[in-house]
Amino acid sequence: MQLTDLTVRNFRNITSLDIELPEAGVVIIGANGQGKTNLLEAIYYLVLFRSFRGAKDRELVQFGAPGFFVGGSANTRVTAGYEVAGGRKKVTVDREPVRRLGAAVGRIVAVPFSPEDRGIVAGGPAGRRRYIDVLLSLSEPRYLVALSAMRVALKQRNAALRMGHGDTAQAFDTPFAEAAAIVLSTRMTWVERRTGRFRAICEALGEPEPAQLRYRRHGTKAEEEATDLRMLLASTIDRDLRRGTTTVGPHRDDLQLSLGDHSLQTYGSAGQQRTAAIALRLIEAETLAEATGQLPIGLYDDVFVELDDARQANLLTLIRDTLPGQAIVAAPRDSEVPPELFERPRWTMRGGKLET
Amino acid sequence: MSAIEQLTVELGKLPGIGRKTATRLTFHLLKQPRGAVESLARAIQAIVDRIAPCSTCGNFSEADPCSICSDSRRDRSMLCVVEEASDIEAIERSDEYRGLYHVLGGHLSPLDGIGPEDLRIDDLRRRVENGSGLREVIVATNPSMEGEVTATYLRGVLAPLGLRVTRIARGLPVGGDLEYADRSTIAQALVARREMTE
Repeated sequence: MQLTDLTVRNFRNITSLDIELPEAGVVIIGANGQGKTNLLEAIYYLVLFRSFRGAKDRELVQFGAPGFFVGGSANTRVTAGYEVAGGRKKVTVDREPVRRLGAAVGRIVAVPFSPEDRGIVAGGPAGRRRYIDVLLSLSEPRYLVALSAMRVALKQRNAALRMGHGDTAQAFDTPFAEAAAIVLSTRMTWVERRTGRFRAICEALGEPEPAQLRYRRHGTKAEEEATDLRMLLASTIDRDLRRGTTTVGPHRDDLQLSLGDHSLQTYGSAGQQRTAAIALRLIEAETLAEATGQLPIGLYDDVFVELDDARQANLLTLIRDTLPGQAIVAAPRDSEVPPELFERPRWTMRGGKLET
Repeated sequence: MSAIEQLTVELGKLPGIGRKTATRLTFHLLKQPRGAVESLARAIQAIVDRIAPCSTCGNFSEADPCSICSDSRRDRSMLCVVEEASDIEAIERSDEYRGLYHVLGGHLSPLDGIGPEDLRIDDLRRRVENGSGLREVIVATNPSMEGEVTATYLRGVLAPLGLRVTRIARGLPVGGDLEYADRSTIAQALVARREMTE
């Protein structure tokens, strides 16, 4: 999949930008604060209609502007606009307005590599759940529907628990459990299928110890093994009422990343955590490629920084093998970009403007 | 605030009517003959003066009990539970049902602060307990998540009272095309498939 053109208006520090992109991609050089990451963020906005940095739509609007607009074509033309007044978002696919965002998500397929990805490995479970939820929403047709239904039922159930209404809360057990079962089985199947690749990629990146990716259900041993979520919810209702929240379910689960027998979150070095984060992005790319039959666009934000020469070479080989499609590479200096990538045109970003 | 502005603001509070439509309606009324507008104003005044919820079923009515509750030809062994009084109109149009109704006044939604005590569920329990000859309660809440949850909750309340509790079916719309139905509707229709009998 190739992004052939891109239009950006009033997105962070980018006032106005209209570019055509080469088939192989492009290298964008710019000092910190010039807008490289903003440009990648704008491109990825067309995938998920949300910031990959977790920013609110309002925060993406350039200071003083009434809203922002991003548009781009890759087989299909996707545009997204946001108006501060009224907080309205408008998305179109091939010039047709989209009623439900879920239906338009993933028309453009891309994988964002960012230095902040280390947080997926080093941070709390919420970041890892976000990683797997985004990935499966883009690759499994019924996942996003189930995830949304689960969240609505969960919010209702928790509101009833906070009011101390056990009966009302339990009336939401069925819709919650039905949606949660789909979310859980989709996640577990994916983890089971990908753990081997996770290990292989970490190894190929130069990690001598065996890496492992596991799905970790939240709760006691018995709760972890429960197959009937409705029965599990029924058995924990007293605790849920006491705490005013639903204490078991996929919304509490975690992905466990380990090296040898130690947890990467707790004991991994910065380098090991960065390697694991890159591996997660690469298996995301593989998953999306298989699910969509299209090679995702690679968005590389300063990924080669802080990698030693050997790991850098390993990563380049992996990218060539698993993600050989269009690459949009951002780096602060020429010297940070491996020479191999210089086969692509090199542009400079300064103060939110691109010099091509 | 001018009279024009005031009416625009009031109309804008109605469901499905935004500022633009409210303005258009206001100016439309200004161009109408005086009699037509007065007739509209009287009609609005009349629903405030004359209509009240039926103390038995909760349906909007000029009389209490309402025309359905007091109609001796209706089947008093059946009670149909709906979310809103407007749902009664819809079911009546089907000409399929001749029993009585009970309006809940909404559905369970803890997020909006609506629990069982905010719906007419206690009234329903009392009606069922005191209603001699009542054999079946049809739960006709909406097929939304909250409507289903409310139905589940009602089953818990009604089951111990020893009468038949049924739920309206979900599935494909009559006269519709299978290929245009959404995924969850088709899934429901498959789950609730039935044997073909002669």
